Amino acid sequence: MKKASMTRRLFLLSTGAAAAGLIVGCSTAAAKGRGYSAIAGAFEPNSFIQITPDNQVIFYLPSSEMGQGILDGLTTLIAEELRVDPRAIDVRQARLHEDYKNPESGMQGTGGSNAVRAQFLPLRQAAADTAAAIRNAAAKQLNQPLDKILLADGKVMLGDKSYSFGEFVAVAALMPVPENSPLRSPQQFDQIGRERPRLDALSKSTGTAEFGIDAEVENLYRAVVVRSPVLGAALESFDASAALKQSGVVDVVKIKSGVAVVAQSYWQARKAAASIELKWKKTELGSWSSDSIYKNFTDTLNDSSQKGLECCDEGEGDKLLDQSETVVAADYYAPYLAHATMEPLNCTVAVEGDSCKIYVGTQSVQVSAGAAVYYGDFDADKVKMHPAFLGGGFGRRSLGDDVAEAVAIAKQSGRNIQLVWSREDDMSNDFYRPASLVRMQAGVSKQGLIETWAVRRVGPNIMGHMVDAWLDVLAPDYLNKGFVDWLSKLGHPLFNRFVADASNGDGIYGDYDTPNKAVRHVTQDPGLRTGFWRSVGHSSNAFFKESFIDELALSAGIDELQFRLANMKNNPRLIEATELAASKAGWGKPLPEGHFHGLATHSSFGSAVAEIAEVSIKGTQIIVHKVTAAIHCGMVVNPGIVRDQIEGGIIYGLTAALHGEITLVDGVVQQSNFHNYPMLRMADAPEVEVHIVASQEHPEGVGEPGLPPLAPAVANAVFKASGQRLRDLPLRLS
Amino acid sequence: MINFQLNNSPVEVDIDPDTPLLWVVRDHFKLKGSKFGCGMGLCGACTMHVNGEAVRTCILPIAAVQGAVITSIEGLGSADNLHPLQQAWVEHSVPQCGYCQSGQLMSASALLAKNRNPSDDDIEMAMNGNICRCGTYSKIKSAIKSGAEAMRSQGSMVETFDPANEKTIVKEANS
Repeated sequence: MKKASMTRRLFLLSTGAAAAGLIVGCSTAAAKGRGYSAIAGAFEPNSFIQITPDNQVIFYLPSSEMGQGILDGLTTLIAEELRVDPRAIDVRQARLHEDYKNPESGMQGTGGSNAVRAQFLPLRQAAADTAAAIRNAAAKQLNQPLDKILLADGKVMLGDKSYSFGEFVAVAALMPVPENSPLRSPQQFDQIGRERPRLDALSKSTGTAEFGIDAEVENLYRAVVVRSPVLGAALESFDASAALKQSGVVDVVKIKSGVAVVAQSYWQARKAAASIELKWKKTELGSWSSDSIYKNFTDTLNDSSQKGLECCDEGEGDKLLDQSETVVAADYYAPYLAHATMEPLNCTVAVEGDSCKIYVGTQSVQVSAGAAVYYGDFDADKVKMHPAFLGGGFGRRSLGDDVAEAVAIAKQSGRNIQLVWSREDDMSNDFYRPASLVRMQAGVSKQGLIETWAVRRVGPNIMGHMVDAWLDVLAPDYLNKGFVDWLSKLGHPLFNRFVADASNGDGIYGDYDTPNKAVRHVTQDPGLRTGFWRSVGHSSNAFFKESFIDELALSAGIDELQFRLANMKNNPRLIEATELAASKAGWGKPLPEGHFHGLATHSSFGSAVAEIAEVSIKGTQIIVHKVTAAIHCGMVVNPGIVRDQIEGGIIYGLTAALHGEITLVDGVVQQSNFHNYPMLRMADAPEVEVHIVASQEHPEGVGEPGLPPLAPAVANAVFKASGQRLRDLPLRLS
Repeated sequence: MINFQLNNSPVEVDIDPDTPLLWVVRDHFKLKGSKFGCGMGLCGACTMHVNGEAVRTCILPIAAVQGAVITSIEGLGSADNLHPLQQAWVEHSVPQCGYCQSGQLMSASALLAKNRNPSDDDIEMAMNGNICRCGTYSKIKSAIKSGAEAMRSQGSMVETFDPANEKTIVKEANS
């Protein structure tokens, strides 16, 4: 098990034993049997592959495609072992079934950059066993010795004769499916490692790729929800009489999160929603603003009586800090952030008697189905999931809150509905990347080696909010709902007082060879709900760690690259990535006048990444000209997609580093759309060059690891360009 | 009743006149390729051609398109008849999540209809209204250049709007 994946392996794997029993017994996963519907005459050796008599090879994709290229990656694994051109495989998103659970997380869901790593062997095995079964059937049917039967280019070959797979499926279906068939060796690979356009490029370039929002069913009404301006406040009263008179409006219903308007068209529903008058109850969050939150974090940071929870304690901890030749200390801050997926949340529900069909782009079919069961009062076996492409995920589409609202509206109004969130709904009802204030301290020897590494963090946790959102929808439905709801609230005290949320420590202490380390986290949570945001704890911790490393190098009078290399001797992957990035970027060589290089290195999700940002400043404006990145992620399935993911992480990270900040006034999120939560656009996007360390090791994550080093690489360059050490995100020159 | 041309076919629709064109095309005509992203004309996911110009249709009332010529991504090309830009998009493997790409393609194709040899500045200017959250900007830029080159060298057919006759004209790109 990789430590980096801990946060998303559900709290049950690292902590709560009682709750663990409940979730392991998850009843929303469908019963045994294959995960797909049978096709007459087809060979159905496992839940991943189906081969029809007319030679259609169907692959049921167990992970969600949200842009990260997993459709391409996992189909390539199947193609490699089955000896079929990946472009000839009919790929369908898998529905809910226990066979599709992620082997690492134990849950049918996509996150933690682990989809290739966790399924690299099991999916190849499923395809290799299928290939062996086809060969066995061909040998029997053609009455030939097995060693004369070969598979190539999607055909069964016997000497110079070729047959389609489909000709043998009837016989294959009657024979036992082989197990543990030998896998192809990396030397034999002709699909894995090959660069070609991704398989979903055509449908996504012609407007034909189907996202959740594109679902259409008969008699479909559209719904919008008016929610509290202070997230999570309960509704006191509302008056929808004006809305009900508006054209096209057919219903107004009260649901847990607010009031929903159901109309014939989205536009009618949206307009009518504006006329509803609502009163909300006061909540704790309503008493907080960004200024008071920051002050509370600062007071807590300075109050040494608040010890917090231990994330890491190695060697002598922080006891020997003062004995080092040089002691450096600095405070850093990272704000709340929204995900802002391009496709706003949405969900389409078709109700037929006591059953329902759910059309949604989701990172977890299991969570989404659970939400339909819990919030729509459907029996688990009456919920049929229709998963679609995701218009971005980044952690946002893992909560089921879209489905929860949609099923409640459909159920109450008795209609098929499509719920569509506006951009404003999305921005102000997120599960935000938590803010954190951090005190970094380190003792460095005369030789420039880090002797003590001490971190004190203050901020909210993620896991308490996750338990709250997830337990309701993942607990078995035989449990009393009141009990489940009570239980789901226990995550907050659990993670605030007793068990450190692993994401708080993720990536803040692991990369360097320090013998003595102490990392503690003190929870202060104003109540704004938080969640997984691309790279989770690494997204802020890498900024703290890698900016601070530059401060240490400076105080030791050592080049930042050399300082890092000298202090990461036990981190060979990161050394390789760092040396590759440095050589490709020309570290230490002259740059155009006014341009400066900043370096950051960071391991996350099993991969090691180094990034060098070339930056200049113009007045108070930060201009990022180029980012040179190198990644060590083990074996590569499609190098083009690895480079795309690292570049994507860099652009996503640069948007956050230069612009990203969610602020509160009296508990109300102040950002609403792209004018006040701006995104990086083409004209501001730097040139990005990504290099991959050649490796035959097991593949690791690529969807998230490109993001964490970006902000510190830019901040480190800005320091050289301006002399200003920017310790708060977003980066703003004064 | 509002009449206009949608992807070279005359259409008519009876709907609240302030309804944005995007929702009419998506939910009335069931052409789902154009996307909803922000509802304020800030992200470009809803971009279509209105009389040959790239327009954000999430804020364009249907009443404003009476008699207009509208092209959505469905009218740009299809899998067996790709626009040179769509061909370049596939070859460069541009899309990640893909949600913004219809809008990106419509902005890019409006640019190339007028300028078949755009500079980096021209491209950035034309594309700056389109957000891509996955970060495909560099590939979009490369694909626009490839698409432009293909149109120049192959004399691809392009569609332009003739304001005098109020109709779309299909002609050789390099003519």
